[in-house]
Amino acid sequence: MRHLRKYLSLAKASLEIIFVYRAGFLVNQIGSIFYVVAMFYLWQVIFLGKAGNLGYFTWPQMKAYLLIAFLLNSLMTWFDEWQMGQDIREGRVATDLARPVDFQVKRFAEAVGPVPFELTSALCIGAIVAVAFGGIAFPSDPAHLALFVLSAALATLLKFAFIYCVSMIAFWTTGMNGIQNARFAIQSIFSGALIPLVFFPDWLRAIASVLPFQSMVSTPALTYLGTMDGPTTALMIGIQVAWAVALLLLGRLVWRSAVKAVTINGG
Amino acid sequence: MAARLRPLRRLVYIYFRCLGQQMKAILAYEADFVILMISAGIVQISGFLFIWTVFARIPNINGWTFWQVVMMYSLIFITEGVGSLFFEGTWRLSRLVYTGEFDQMLLRPVSPIVQVLAGAVGFNGLGNIITGGMLLAVSLGNVNVAWTPGRALMLVILVASAATIRVAINLGTSATAFWIRAPWSMVPFFVHQLGEFAKYPITIYSLGVQAVVVVVIPFAFISFFPTAYLFNVASWGVIGLITPLVAIYSLIMGVWAFNFGLKRYESTGH
Repeated sequence: MRHLRKYLSLAKASLEIIFVYRAGFLVNQIGSIFYVVAMFYLWQVIFLGKAGNLGYFTWPQMKAYLLIAFLLNSLMTWFDEWQMGQDIREGRVATDLARPVDFQVKRFAEAVGPVPFELTSALCIGAIVAVAFGGIAFPSDPAHLALFVLSAALATLLKFAFIYCVSMIAFWTTGMNGIQNARFAIQSIFSGALIPLVFFPDWLRAIASVLPFQSMVSTPALTYLGTMDGPTTALMIGIQVAWAVALLLLGRLVWRSAVKAVTINGG
Repeated sequence: MAARLRPLRRLVYIYFRCLGQQMKAILAYEADFVILMISAGIVQISGFLFIWTVFARIPNINGWTFWQVVMMYSLIFITEGVGSLFFEGTWRLSRLVYTGEFDQMLLRPVSPIVQVLAGAVGFNGLGNIITGGMLLAVSLGNVNVAWTPGRALMLVILVASAATIRVAINLGTSATAFWIRAPWSMVPFFVHQLGEFAKYPITIYSLGVQAVVVVVIPFAFISFFPTAYLFNVASWGVIGLITPLVAIYSLIMGVWAFNFGLKRYESTGH
């Protein structure tokens, strides 16, 4: 209980930082509207050219898919490899080492803190885009919605675990900008955030299915739409759990050897 | 004439000297350099895969073919690459003004614009230029128009104009740092994001969006109109011819905005 309070206050502090920089944060969020709107126009033309149905999806379903991808990408943006790189380069990690907190849990608390704020703004932006483009598909079954919330939470946890692992590279190099861009590009394509994985050719889909990324966007989005049958949904959510646990553990493992390698500026 | 050009030549010389120092600083971290280049390549491959997958499902988007869209995409990335490699400094202006470091630039006997532009180097730009250049070359190979020397010259002029427009937009919007005090570039980033619309043919958008990317912030002249010209697309292609004029206009506006902001500049902490 005492432990929990410790991490809760870290999360709260992280949320407060966002409020201090809210103008910049909101500009970033609103800036991402253009990307979503461009995607909507693009897919609109494609779907209307095919009488609103591309085989796997109808246009209202596709709109829902795009907004879910946007929503999931909008969460935990405050936590990234670049920030971790800064903390390591400027020696702030040394203070963290001296504190009676678990490094990974502390990072998680800080990453989760701003989520309510990110969620609210992403939902507002999403609602505006949805209305402007004539509405989106809703789950036919409330159970799908409940499973979606679970799957989205797992996706966000997995995203944290993955970024945490990648950010450990900062102990060995200072080029975190490039690492982060590459990670985001790979994640965008293989998570299904840019395009649903069913549209991939077989060989590309085979690659996507063995990577952790599909659990970050595709699984929650398809759960929402209810396009997978019961056993498949259970399997896909199971895969999400497995990846999240595996990468959280990997992160802890790498951290342990990273601390030994660390050289911090000024001694 | 030669005498009048001398100050300009000196500015160009100083600009490249400054840039050279920045490059040395980055090349000192060899691994970072390699990472940046590779990451730029990965980002482009991801974007290319997206377009390729979309077109695997449909023959064309609103009449626009795969290679036309690839060309628009490549122009976006080449110009972005030129912006980061040679003019990354604009992104630092907000920070310089916010911390007061900008004062140093006013004390030196060189135009502050040149100092700002040469203030940083983004080596990911080189990766963008190389991979974007390859995509451009392949899409040009799929243009079914006879190549004449005039057309080849126009290609060079169009790419140079597109890069100029991109840099001018960055410079002009970064001048907002003189009004808005924030440690990072909010307005330039926001406007930069508008460039998302230029990745696809503008005919897919509503009239309002088209007006924004053609008239207000001329992103359509970076990718869409040059592509339409090079592919000889009826009606749209002709507009591509005024791209150099748009570039000159953008540059004048960008420099004007910067100088206008500069007059308002008050150092922090005084």
